[in-house]
Amino acid sequence: MRLKEYLINKIGTITIFILGYCFILFALIAFKNNFSLTFLISLLYMLVGISIFIINYKKKKRFYTEFLMNLDKLDNKYLISEIIEIPDFYEGRILTQVLYEIGKSMNSHIKEYETITNDFRHYIELWIHEVKVPLSALRLIAHIEHNKEIVEPVKLIEDYVEQVLYYTRSENTEEDYFITKCNLSKIISNVAIRNKDIIFRKNIDLIVENTDYTVLTDSKWLEFILNQIISNSIKYKKNEKSYIKITVKDKMNLTTLIIEDNGIGIPLSDLSRVFNKSFTGKNGRIKSSSTGMGLFIVKKMCDKLGHKISIESEENEQTRVYITFDKNDFYNVVN
Amino acid sequence: MKKILIIEDDYTVSQKLKQLLDNAGYNSIILKNFENSYEEIKRNNPDLILLDINIPNENGQLLLQTIRKESQVPVIMVTSRMGETDEIVSISYGADDYVTKPYNPTILLLRINNIFKRLENKDIVCTYKDLIIDIKRGTVKKEDIEITLTKNEMIIFNCLLNNQGKIVSRDDIITDLWSNSEFVNDNTLSVNIGRLRNKLSELGYENTIETRKGIGYILL
Repeated sequence: MRLKEYLINKIGTITIFILGYCFILFALIAFKNNFSLTFLISLLYMLVGISIFIINYKKKKRFYTEFLMNLDKLDNKYLISEIIEIPDFYEGRILTQVLYEIGKSMNSHIKEYETITNDFRHYIELWIHEVKVPLSALRLIAHIEHNKEIVEPVKLIEDYVEQVLYYTRSENTEEDYFITKCNLSKIISNVAIRNKDIIFRKNIDLIVENTDYTVLTDSKWLEFILNQIISNSIKYKKNEKSYIKITVKDKMNLTTLIIEDNGIGIPLSDLSRVFNKSFTGKNGRIKSSSTGMGLFIVKKMCDKLGHKISIESEENEQTRVYITFDKNDFYNVVN
Repeated sequence: MKKILIIEDDYTVSQKLKQLLDNAGYNSIILKNFENSYEEIKRNNPDLILLDINIPNENGQLLLQTIRKESQVPVIMVTSRMGETDEIVSISYGADDYVTKPYNPTILLLRINNIFKRLENKDIVCTYKDLIIDIKRGTVKKEDIEITLTKNEMIIFNCLLNNQGKIVSRDDIITDLWSNSEFVNDNTLSVNIGRLRNKLSELGYENTIETRKGIGYILL
């Protein structure tokens, strides 16, 4: 709260105050009072007026300065009414009352949406569990009847369904993951088997070297992440001899999982944006079925799990995805 | 013949599961009455139970607890839920294994087989005619002749041996190899089968592995 602006704002009051003084001065002179009395009355008038003004100003300045400072520090500004101190002047009390009412209605509004989002999320989870039952039936039928043609579309449906599941989970504040010691080669083998048929059909060489390492992660989440990355490698393969190579680099306190392919690569101009929501880029225009959600979800999940993910690529040459796991000493001590 | 009880309330899944298990040489039964699941289990006296978590009347995990009070019959929990906690709870209640839907049928069969072999200690040493096979060491012995198989050859031989007399598809063998982190391709499999045949013929078993064109292999 600045004095200058406060003064400008109070220009009306000040004008009346000065006019009042002029009137008193005029009256005193008109009734021929002596100079000393005129001076004394003027002084008293000024003193009383300025005191009232200063007291008011100080009171308001103290309240609004604190108010603005608190507001500035708050992450959720709408919570201001919770920490505001009720002032001892009337307008201030009206303001706090209004803010309190606004906050209350805002909170109930947020609660309403929170309930809607949560209900929707629970419904999605339930729906996914339901849809997995017929998917299992399809899998079994395809296996019994040796029908290779069903396997691939069924696998795609499974992937799409799972993507929805992990999208809702990664967007949610509830923590659904469970960090344990997981063996990387076990997870790689699960993902590889999921993609086995399409890897064979597309004649891709899967090279897995030296991956027998233990990392701290959620195995299901990492399986999804790896499946997304490998699905991309398969989707964006080149026509000639393709390979997907999975290796692990283990340094002092970092373990890095590297997934390399010799696919069409990602243009340099797109590389920084591949983790953005709905970003499809040049490659998205080549393949029709690109939602731009896969890597976005992957990045979100890695952030939650505390893994670093980065992509290096050379267009028309190769793509390398790095996932880095921390070796947490604290975890080792606790367990 | 091993008896497997299927506890699963979806009609198609249970029927197809039965077909899968029967084809694999098991005698499978579908639990029909979910009202007295536990009594039904006792009456059927299975060698292994495939137990779905979402079953009518009762939660599969609670049923597992009831089973474990009296019996050590192997139980594989099957679920479509994805939470890590379900797995931990199931294992702590005494499940032998845990698979999530939609599962790969070959993997399910492998897991069932693993449990049976573990119970009979056949996961270390088993036999084929007069051959003694040491899986851990990777050796096959006939009287005093001993030959060594590579990891891939052993997985393939073991896979055929588990299904002796039945045709095993190339796909099933490859799934078995991949689940053991041996990511071979089609050509490598053919090469490995060739080598395995040569090694078996050294022990006097020529032509024991036959090729069924377009389907797979069979160990006679």
